[in-house]
Amino acid sequence: MPTTPIRRKLMTALLLTSGVVMLISSSAFCAYDFLTYRQQTLHNLATLGDAIAANSTAALAFQNPDDAREVLSALRAESHIVDASLYTLDGRLFASYPATHPAVQAATPPPDGYRFEGGYLIGVQPVVQGQRRMGSLYLKADLAAVYQRLRSFVLIAVLVMVSTCAAAYLLAARLQRQISEPILALARAVADVSSRQDYTLQVLRPRGYELGVLADSFNNLLVQVEAARSRLQSQLGRLDLLHRITRAIGERQDLPSIFQVLLGYLEAELPIDFGCIALCDPADAQAVRIASIGTHSQSLAQRLEIDQQPRVPIGQNGLARCVAGELVYEPDVGAVDYPFPQRFRRAGIRSLVLAPLLVQKRVFGVLIVGRRAVEAFNSTDCEFLRHLSEHIALASHQAQLYGALQQAYDDVRQSQHAILQQERLRALGQMASGIAHDINNAISPIALYTESLLEREPGLSNRTRTCLVTIQRAIEDVAETVSRMRDFYRVRAPEMSLTRVSLNRLIEQVVESTRARWSDLPMQKGVVITMQPNLASDLPDIMGSETEIRDALTNLVFNAVDAMPDGGTLVLRTRWDFRDVESQAENVPAVHVEVSDTGVGMDEETRRRCLEPFYTTKGERGTGLGLAMVYGMIQRHSAEINIDSSVGQGTTVRLSFIPAQTTLMTAQDTPAGPATHHLRVLLVDDDPLLLKSVKEVLDADGHTVVAADGGQNGIDTFQTANRSGQPFSLVITDLGMPYVDGRKVATAVKTESPQTPVVLLTGWGRRLIAENDTPPHVDRILSKPPKLAALRTALAELTAGAASVPPTPREQTS
Amino acid sequence: MATMKRAGPVAACVLLFLGLSVSAAVPPAEYRVKAVFLFNFAQFVDWPPDAFTAPGQPFVIGVLGKDPFGAELDAVVRGETVSHRSLVVERYFNIAELHNCHILYIARSEIGHLPQILKALEGRSVLTVSDADGDDQTGVMIRLVSRSNRVGLQIDVGAAKAGHLTISSKLLRPAEIVGGPEG
Repeated sequence: MPTTPIRRKLMTALLLTSGVVMLISSSAFCAYDFLTYRQQTLHNLATLGDAIAANSTAALAFQNPDDAREVLSALRAESHIVDASLYTLDGRLFASYPATHPAVQAATPPPDGYRFEGGYLIGVQPVVQGQRRMGSLYLKADLAAVYQRLRSFVLIAVLVMVSTCAAAYLLAARLQRQISEPILALARAVADVSSRQDYTLQVLRPRGYELGVLADSFNNLLVQVEAARSRLQSQLGRLDLLHRITRAIGERQDLPSIFQVLLGYLEAELPIDFGCIALCDPADAQAVRIASIGTHSQSLAQRLEIDQQPRVPIGQNGLARCVAGELVYEPDVGAVDYPFPQRFRRAGIRSLVLAPLLVQKRVFGVLIVGRRAVEAFNSTDCEFLRHLSEHIALASHQAQLYGALQQAYDDVRQSQHAILQQERLRALGQMASGIAHDINNAISPIALYTESLLEREPGLSNRTRTCLVTIQRAIEDVAETVSRMRDFYRVRAPEMSLTRVSLNRLIEQVVESTRARWSDLPMQKGVVITMQPNLASDLPDIMGSETEIRDALTNLVFNAVDAMPDGGTLVLRTRWDFRDVESQAENVPAVHVEVSDTGVGMDEETRRRCLEPFYTTKGERGTGLGLAMVYGMIQRHSAEINIDSSVGQGTTVRLSFIPAQTTLMTAQDTPAGPATHHLRVLLVDDDPLLLKSVKEVLDADGHTVVAADGGQNGIDTFQTANRSGQPFSLVITDLGMPYVDGRKVATAVKTESPQTPVVLLTGWGRRLIAENDTPPHVDRILSKPPKLAALRTALAELTAGAASVPPTPREQTS
Repeated sequence: MATMKRAGPVAACVLLFLGLSVSAAVPPAEYRVKAVFLFNFAQFVDWPPDAFTAPGQPFVIGVLGKDPFGAELDAVVRGETVSHRSLVVERYFNIAELHNCHILYIARSEIGHLPQILKALEGRSVLTVSDADGDDQTGVMIRLVSRSNRVGLQIDVGAAKAGHLTISSKLLRPAEIVGGPEG
């Protein structure tokens, strides 16, 4: 029983105390009484002895033992005197009492004085008369009475003690409860609390000051323990929430999703009545932009009007401090007189916490949470939100890093893809170079003859002239196309001829040349495509390559037609305006060409990738090069391309060019070159058709042209002519020839006659020029198909000041 | 006590011998006891102040008549004092010689002249002691009487009173009182 010890202790203490007190007092009393009584006895005996002695003087003096015995017999009244004797001065026994036991008397009296000897008080009293001693009185008193009295006292003391202890026990048994009961009650209550672990219990306050204080202290302790426990509980809950949120946002990689998950958790479990996240705008330091609003906070957000106007200016509310990196707690937004808190107040949110989202000491956003009650956030909440904001910031940062990584990865993949494409293009370019060479060779006579015909045959009918012009343009386009085959993404070549181009005229040409595609072919299937040219009348010219732009527009028209398998409207619009150019402070005019269709449109993925080469949605029909070529053109012209499209809504492609300078540039393609004096020209080529056409054209100009078939043949001819005293004024040689190519011919010519200019005629020409790869000993490079004007210019410039040769009969070496 | 028992027969023999030879030169043991008694009377009796004329005056024990004590009395008082007074033994042949005395032993030889003696002592504070036999001894203050084998005392309180002497009640205890206060 755990209740006994304190009771027993209390009882023991009380009883022991009273017992000991009683014992000591009784003992003291007994001892005192014993001593005083004994002293009294001694005193009495002394008095008695005095009296007896005084009365015995005469008997001793006059030797009357009878009288002495009579005197002594008076001691009969004193029962405790067991022996009394009178001795004479010389020590003889004179008389004794009781007379019946004289034998027990000592023969001589002991020395004077009183002493206690073995239960007896023995006194020897001198018997004196006047100054004269007569003898001695011996008295022996039994102390039994004294001891009897002592025994009685001890007995009484024991009885008193026993009764006292009994009384004390009875009293203590009742009184100790006043002390022990409250303590035991307290102990029971404490044990109860401890065993049930229920710290909400309270101990009843017992009577008594100290116990009351103890109970109060204990209750106070319980309250504190309970508070600490619940605090711990809530901390654990918070920790758990933090953990779950952290895990949830850790699984997400994009900011909106992270924010939504976070706000969802906060709304459900913190809980909060309103939550949103605002992000700092790098371009706008004066405001933050609400980026995400909790699902359950949407209605409040509408009342706060931050869903329509997400921009929240900094500097007129606690946001400024928060953006500076401080956690801001507004216990009562009603007390803050700024517009932003007042908006919250109107929406019914009374307390706000703004937690900064810090990454690397830079605040990139703010977590805003609110509750309807005033002072609804305690320090724990704030601390939690602070920790949470750090986690979110970290997660956001990681998400951003992840995004950047993904971007970098995509970039790398794209680069890889581009390199692959480049590789394919390079291979294609090599192949194309060969083809281009052949084509250039093949079309050279056509070009030359056409040009020659147009120039030299005044009698041509109008129709023939139109046809020839068309052929010439087609040949030029072929040559351009062929030359561009390798050059999709090459930076604008220096020699690319930039001319003033009227986009309106080009569009008219394109509309004409593509009529078959947008009108005739669809018509066969019963599909109607309405072509609507919408051209600005005052459109400025632009500087550019007419053929490239024409090709690009043609491609765009084809794409638009393809996008409208069920018919629709195709709008070709030109306009110009002043646009903002980021890099330039002033407005720069821009000339726009728009090709709009009402077709199927493009989805986001397609829109993003449509400019990539070999990307096509047309399957086998498409090459994937159309828009890529358009893009190449755009890049070479420093222009811009914008594509607006959505699925089912059609597509608008807008090309924006920089308009030409107002000063007119001299047209490069002058129809006729400067007139030159007649020259002796050696023409070396392995292609007889080319030899023939060039020879005829130059002949027609009045030059003496010797054609040599092949490189070696050319060298031989040149050397022969040189040694025979009829040197050539100029050598025109093809670059690519079997066995002995144009370079060797040039070297040989220069070895033979360093002054003789050498013109290299090549189907590879553009590449050579582009790569700045003019071979040694070559004075000029002309590309195939050669243009009459270019030939004439070259001849004139290279032979300026050279001696003119008289026209000679035609001679042909073979 | 044993000595006492033996002293009894001895004293009886002495008395018997005294009775047979009264005039023997050597005083019997009886007188040694009586000599001590004489001395002891000085302890139990108070004298009036006029009994002494001068402060240094000795206490005088007088023996009137034929001295039976021999040297015993002198031996007893030698060196003793009474109330700081030295003791002197004086012997008188007749009462006229008595000059200044405090205790007067009247020997048997003078008992016949008792009335003259008493008359001479009248008005004076002298304790009279006698051990003579015979009844007509009125006026003697203390008589030493032989009782069986010891000496007893007979005190005439009236005579003592007349002599302005105060006898201690202690002395009266072992003594036989005779006479009355009136005479």
